[in-house]
Amino acid sequence: MPGFLDDVLILLRPRFLSFKNPLVAANSKKEFYRNLFLGTAGFLFWIGIFIISLRTLKYFYRIEGLGDILVFKLLSMLVLTSFSFLIFSSILTSLSKLYLSRDLELVHSMPVSGNRIFFARWIESTADSSWMVVIYTLPVFVALGVVNKAGLFFYLNTALVLLSLSFIASGISSVLVMAAVFIIPAGRMKSILLFLGFTLFLTLFMVFRMLKPEQLVDPDVFATVVVYLDTLKAPSSPLLPSTWVYDSIKESLSGSLRSSFFHSALSWSFVSVIIFINILIADLIYRRGFSKSQTASSRVFRYKYSDFPFTGFLTGASRAFVVKEIKTFFRDQTQWSQLLLIGALVIIYVFNFSVLPLERAPIKTIYLQNLLAFLNMGLCLFVLTAVAGRFAYPAVSSERDAFWLVKASPVKIKTILWIKFFIYFLPLLILSEILIVATNIILQVDAFMMALSFISVLLIVPGIVSIGIGFGAAYPDFKSENPAQSVTSFGGLLFMMICAGYIMAVIILEAGPVYDIFMASVHQRSMTVLQWLRAVISFSIVIVISILAIILPMRFGEKGLSKVLP
Amino acid sequence: MIHLENLTKKYGEFTAVSNLNLTIPKGEIFGFIGPNGAGKTTTIKMMGGIMDPTSGSIDICGINMKDEPERAKKNIGFIPDRPYLYEKLTGMEFLRFIGNLYNVDNKSFTGKAEEKLNMFSLLSWADELIESYSHGMKQRLIMAAALLHDPEVMIVDEPMVGLDPVAVRMVKDLFKHLAGEGMTIFMSTHTLKVAEDVCDRIGVINKGVLIATGTVGELKKKSLLVDADLEDAFIKLTT
Repeated sequence: MPGFLDDVLILLRPRFLSFKNPLVAANSKKEFYRNLFLGTAGFLFWIGIFIISLRTLKYFYRIEGLGDILVFKLLSMLVLTSFSFLIFSSILTSLSKLYLSRDLELVHSMPVSGNRIFFARWIESTADSSWMVVIYTLPVFVALGVVNKAGLFFYLNTALVLLSLSFIASGISSVLVMAAVFIIPAGRMKSILLFLGFTLFLTLFMVFRMLKPEQLVDPDVFATVVVYLDTLKAPSSPLLPSTWVYDSIKESLSGSLRSSFFHSALSWSFVSVIIFINILIADLIYRRGFSKSQTASSRVFRYKYSDFPFTGFLTGASRAFVVKEIKTFFRDQTQWSQLLLIGALVIIYVFNFSVLPLERAPIKTIYLQNLLAFLNMGLCLFVLTAVAGRFAYPAVSSERDAFWLVKASPVKIKTILWIKFFIYFLPLLILSEILIVATNIILQVDAFMMALSFISVLLIVPGIVSIGIGFGAAYPDFKSENPAQSVTSFGGLLFMMICAGYIMAVIILEAGPVYDIFMASVHQRSMTVLQWLRAVISFSIVIVISILAIILPMRFGEKGLSKVLP
Repeated sequence: MIHLENLTKKYGEFTAVSNLNLTIPKGEIFGFIGPNGAGKTTTIKMMGGIMDPTSGSIDICGINMKDEPERAKKNIGFIPDRPYLYEKLTGMEFLRFIGNLYNVDNKSFTGKAEEKLNMFSLLSWADELIESYSHGMKQRLIMAAALLHDPEVMIVDEPMVGLDPVAVRMVKDLFKHLAGEGMTIFMSTHTLKVAEDVCDRIGVINKGVLIATGTVGELKKKSLLVDADLEDAFIKLTT
């Protein structure tokens, strides 16, 4: 056993050092400030979750008779959801860590047995897949402890049982992954799992949305809610690890230490069982599965050469990049799930507006319709920012190791960035206009509001795409195994913040004049000279900001990317 | 055809390439050898327009790389040491991508692409995704792509890495043939036998400084090892 642990620690050492070294010796001040910025943003987000949780819990506890039930149901749902997230995240992470990572060839060539390699990788996978879920669910539990004035045992116990839940989720996932890879090669398995996972998630999400949960707060159907609350008291399955964790936290909160300890012990004993089962299975099939994953998978499609005729009007570099981007995008199965996600997003977004009970609102419908249409513009643009973050921002990083081709080609970096801009601008503009026009039709807004929304989106979308491409070029990540995740980096965070600022600036600038024009129209009177002046100045500033939002980020991106070496 | 003048590259305080002066005439195969970290790849990246020099100038076919980088690059076929490509394209689609970038005439493209793929024994793999190619096949595909637009200058970093002996022989013969037709080839390599077999002249770089240039015979003389092979001369010159 000491030999086993020594080998595992040696195998984990490179990972530990690659984590520790940048912390100890930050390469530059710039890197230090970047890490500080990211750390502060993460901490503020944590605090935000804590404050919202605290207020929500306090609000629930004020509801006499129902408060306790609601809080514990919320807790149970949180633990179950976290467990599901951990399982999903662990499946993908363990698949990468155990079978697809670039350094595995080197590791497997070393004189170390398969189960030791497996165990070291499994620990890494557990840490990678669960740290975020654990850290960002903790503020909810801390808030729960604060509201209930819990003692130290509650906090310690909660941290420990959450840790056990991570181990269990990771253990179950790795058993599933090892068994699956033994049947299907790992390369294809990742695409299949991602696709299935997203499809399942979307189906559940759509079904949940179509059930119209907002009706639960409708007084007309309150009788149904009471019946519903009755069902909330029903206990969860005692066979689920999430139930042990939930029970342990619940008992520690109510001060039943013995009962809490029993459930924690149950959870931790299962951790040791699942680790034992994993090592046993790894001994039997891990190496063989890895060996199988080294052989290229057989083809699903044969790609007959075709040069898209519809790109015939483009010349040279533009055609080269347009054809390349479209082909590589649609051949990457991981992108399909993203398209599904966008499809579902559009349906749910439009559906939400179709079920708004406008006629029952206390405010006059015409005001509400136009107010909603105006706010909808901002919301739609925030949705677009998220979509652009997923597609436009990683556009440069997606060149990955083939970036040398871009640098060596006889085409200016500026030209390539503009080509990428147009590739993403057109679909994103169509998506935003569909969202805004469809929801405005549902809201039955007047012609002015429809035109304003349409033109505003037309003005702002190029700016958002440009910020995405520009900042993606200034902060590229060519080494990432998944460039789509680059939006979670420092540059991605800047992109999100600048887009949010830009959208808010436009909304604020337009709000005043729009109100004046709308009120003049409702009361059938003309606007004053001062109001006209304000409208002209505000809309002119919006146009100027929008032009700057297109030009400046592209220049910033060009400057940044020119300095980057492949 | 290739003219480097006082070419210098600094990374902070560290000088990777120092005052490099070279002129390589049309039709010459110039070998660039040196120990690891001597500055070979840095020089090649600057010549390919991938990296800007700190100072000095690069002229390709009389065109200055700093003033007109796009025009200069149009005359270059660039082959890097590691064959990173767009894995989700097929071999033929990749060539079309390169053809479009370098404005290869549409009418002649298919014929040219098939000829190059055939030359590098890749024609039967033309419609397969690059992700299914071996390392050597990717290297051959890059070579095919580099020749597609009939460049006047070829810049190659470690051309033989990953190639099997048959392909190595084929590439050596091809380089000689292309040079015979007037192409200028600048080639960095660690395989001294290849340099000895193919190159008209060889430059030795060490710690960023070009310490010797000349034919194999001249390098041997310079190292005072007339009867030894290039390997001994190289070791003598660089240690």
